[in-house]
Amino acid sequence: MSLLAVLATAAGHDETQTPSKFWPEGYEMLFGIPASIIVFFLLWKFAGPVVRKGMAARTAKIQGELDAGEAARTDADAEAAQIRRAKGDIAAERARLLAEADAQATALLADGRQRLADELVELDARAQAEIAAATSRSGDELRAEIARLSAAAVDHVVTGSLDSATHQELIESFISKVGAGALS
Amino acid sequence: MNESRIEGYARGLFEIARAEGTIDEVEDELFRFARLYENSDELRNALSDEQIPAAKRQAIVEDLLGGKVTSTTTQLISMVVGSGRARELPAIVDRLVARASSAKNLEVAEVRTAVSLTEDQQTRLAAALANATGKQVNLKVVVDPSVLGGVVATVGDTVIDGTVRTRIEQLKSRL
Repeated sequence: MSLLAVLATAAGHDETQTPSKFWPEGYEMLFGIPASIIVFFLLWKFAGPVVRKGMAARTAKIQGELDAGEAARTDADAEAAQIRRAKGDIAAERARLLAEADAQATALLADGRQRLADELVELDARAQAEIAAATSRSGDELRAEIARLSAAAVDHVVTGSLDSATHQELIESFISKVGAGALS
Repeated sequence: MNESRIEGYARGLFEIARAEGTIDEVEDELFRFARLYENSDELRNALSDEQIPAAKRQAIVEDLLGGKVTSTTTQLISMVVGSGRARELPAIVDRLVARASSAKNLEVAEVRTAVSLTEDQQTRLAAALANATGKQVNLKVVVDPSVLGGVVATVGDTVIDGTVRTRIEQLKSRL
């Protein structure tokens, strides 16, 4: 226990307690209030401008950051719009390319079908012509073979049957016909 | 040989034969020899070979014809062969026969048969050809086995074909 506490206890007075629950001791107020005013004045006089300047700078900084943010947002919006536009262009280009590819594929398909049909017609015509030619050739060959065999048979039969009597008969027949004016 | 030379030889041979008074026999024998010459490769090669001396070729002619034809015919053929004109002998003879026929107002009728004709057949055939063509003919018969049978007669530009060969060819053509 301190000395002051001992003295207060001895005097029957609690030195740790003020007379008012809210106000300090009177002498403390006498010195404390002017001192506080002085301190506040000094703070207002010397620290105020610095604080205000700092606040203004901070405000400007914040404003700059806000402006920069706004500009960035504007740029981002523009870029987003550009991207959306580009996306739109890409979609249109994609659609155009797809349509063009479809058209080309359709044309190619139609062309292929037409060519195939033409080739089929041509092949059919050629096959028909070849069949006709082969038929004709076979017929010609058959006729030629028959003619050759027939000619050989005629030669064989006729020359084999030409005896002396036949020769004389032929000569007499010729003389008779010529004499009758039946020229051959 | 050009035409004028053939004509010259034909005229010369004709005049010689006529001077000899054997024109009918000679032209007939020459005609037969010319046809034989045309149809025999061996004879043609022997008489037209320039490598064989002319005397030897003439000796071949005389060996071949001696005693079988008149001496005038033999001498005329020998002369043509000896002068190196054997290749033109058929043309010369044909011209001579035409000239001889013309001198008698006859047209040469060349008749080809597979077998020889009798005298009677030749006479009747000459008459038949005269009747058919309206011209008196000097019949020249050639035995040509290639006709197979029948007769083909050529009188000037007229051909009367009754041969088996032609009939067969027509039949083959139709086949």
